[in-house]
Amino acid sequence: MSTSKIIPLGELTSLVASGSSLALGGSFLHRGPFAFVRELIRQGKRDLEIIKQSPGYDIDILCRAGCVRRTRAGIVAMEGNFGLAPYYRKAVEKKEIELEEHACASLTAGLRASAFGVPFQPCGGLHGSALPELNGWQKVDDPYGTGEAVYVIPKITPDFAVIHANEVSPEGDVRVFGTSHWDRIMSRSAKRVLVIAERVASSESFARQPELTLIPHFLVDAVAIVPNGAWPGSCWPHYEVDYPAVEAYLPEGADVLAAHLAAAPEAQEAAHA
Amino acid sequence: MREAWSPFSFIVTNLARFVRPHEVTFSGVNSTLPMLACLLAKRAYDFEFTYINVAGGVDPQPSSIPISSSDPVLAEGSRSIFSNEDFYDLCTRGEMDLCFLGAAQVDGLGQTNVSSIGDWHNPKVRLPGGGGGAVMLPTARRAVTWRTEHSRRTMVEKLDFLTAAGGMAGVVTPIAVFIKRDGRLALQSWHPESSLDEVRARTAFTFDAEGAAPAEPPTQREREALRSLDPTGTFERDAGVRLRPEAAA
Repeated sequence: MSTSKIIPLGELTSLVASGSSLALGGSFLHRGPFAFVRELIRQGKRDLEIIKQSPGYDIDILCRAGCVRRTRAGIVAMEGNFGLAPYYRKAVEKKEIELEEHACASLTAGLRASAFGVPFQPCGGLHGSALPELNGWQKVDDPYGTGEAVYVIPKITPDFAVIHANEVSPEGDVRVFGTSHWDRIMSRSAKRVLVIAERVASSESFARQPELTLIPHFLVDAVAIVPNGAWPGSCWPHYEVDYPAVEAYLPEGADVLAAHLAAAPEAQEAAHA
Repeated sequence: MREAWSPFSFIVTNLARFVRPHEVTFSGVNSTLPMLACLLAKRAYDFEFTYINVAGGVDPQPSSIPISSSDPVLAEGSRSIFSNEDFYDLCTRGEMDLCFLGAAQVDGLGQTNVSSIGDWHNPKVRLPGGGGGAVMLPTARRAVTWRTEHSRRTMVEKLDFLTAAGGMAGVVTPIAVFIKRDGRLALQSWHPESSLDEVRARTAFTFDAEGAAPAEPPTQREREALRSLDPTGTFERDAGVRLRPEAAA
């Protein structure tokens, strides 16, 4: 006998307190938990810490709405023909948010430390870069005497990993089509896991092919079903990036942001409900 | 009459020429021109190589060419998903033959800055950030970068911030192709409509130009491959690459 973990998006988002650290799944404009991100704005969350190797739209709109205190990120951009993420860029330049600049792999190393239950994790490369000194990362000699030195990255344990998935079972098993980006390691490193999914698939379908399950239900706290929830990004194979919507999001103005939030699928859904 | 070689085609074609037989070659996020170069190499060259990308694709057969170089369409037709952790680990364990990495500034050692223009703590421009470079540039067998602007502010004597060391094996701009020789960038070739003098004038670091010559024009197959990838010229227009900055008004 199992209980459904499926709850409305608003209720799922209210599990996150202001000041929480959030690892967000996906990459740039692809399969990010964007409906959740917009709901954070609607609920007026503040002082969030955003952890993601390659954020873009998500960190940008959260900075624009004043929800972010700090971010740990590898590479930040809108991508495509849009270039830099303008509101994120402005927030860093005006020192409205604190940035811990990573290489994507060093952020992964920090998450791996958490997933592996160890205080730090070696990370290849980084030699000669100014990032280790900037971040206070230590270099250690191989204790087994190869003479090789390696940088070690301290553990990163997000309060929540938030993943946008293709399919979930009612119990919270998670399936992702195409690349899983860093979602798997995020789900193992965070204290709690929240999932937004395009649709429900039967528990039996998960049982038939368990090897396709990215995250097992017992790791998942709550699930919300939001069709098109990765808009204006893509969610393979259901839909592609809505470039005109991204373009319409970019101009300055509170009215532009409000119109964008109102045009989002989860807002439309709520309006019709 | 010889067809003019657009600076866009110059960059994509010369990036593709870094691809070698039987190697593993990677293109990442924010990397439209290298994505096109890898796809061009698949269509224009007879040899086999493994093309992996940030969308998880392994020798994909994309049904369309995406605007975003991390678009999931780049995994279409792939028989496996080789995800982000996989290709980073491949690189740090020394098995990545060639990867294309972005840069805002490049110095004479082929080191890059993708972090900030101006002081990191008081940036004039906050750039995208570390990304792949700091880990992949020192661990890939070869890394190659490109700049659509070749100027003394992009090809610098001193980086505003040293994001990634290790040294590029190649740098391609609208007017020049550099390779690594004796630990420094050396000029290999220039755009036939440019000159060694122009490359020197627009580059802030000093470089060896021994043996450098005008680049070989694109072969018919390279031209056809690029045309098949960008039949309407959309990518070329969007990239907006120019041989020289517009004359000051």
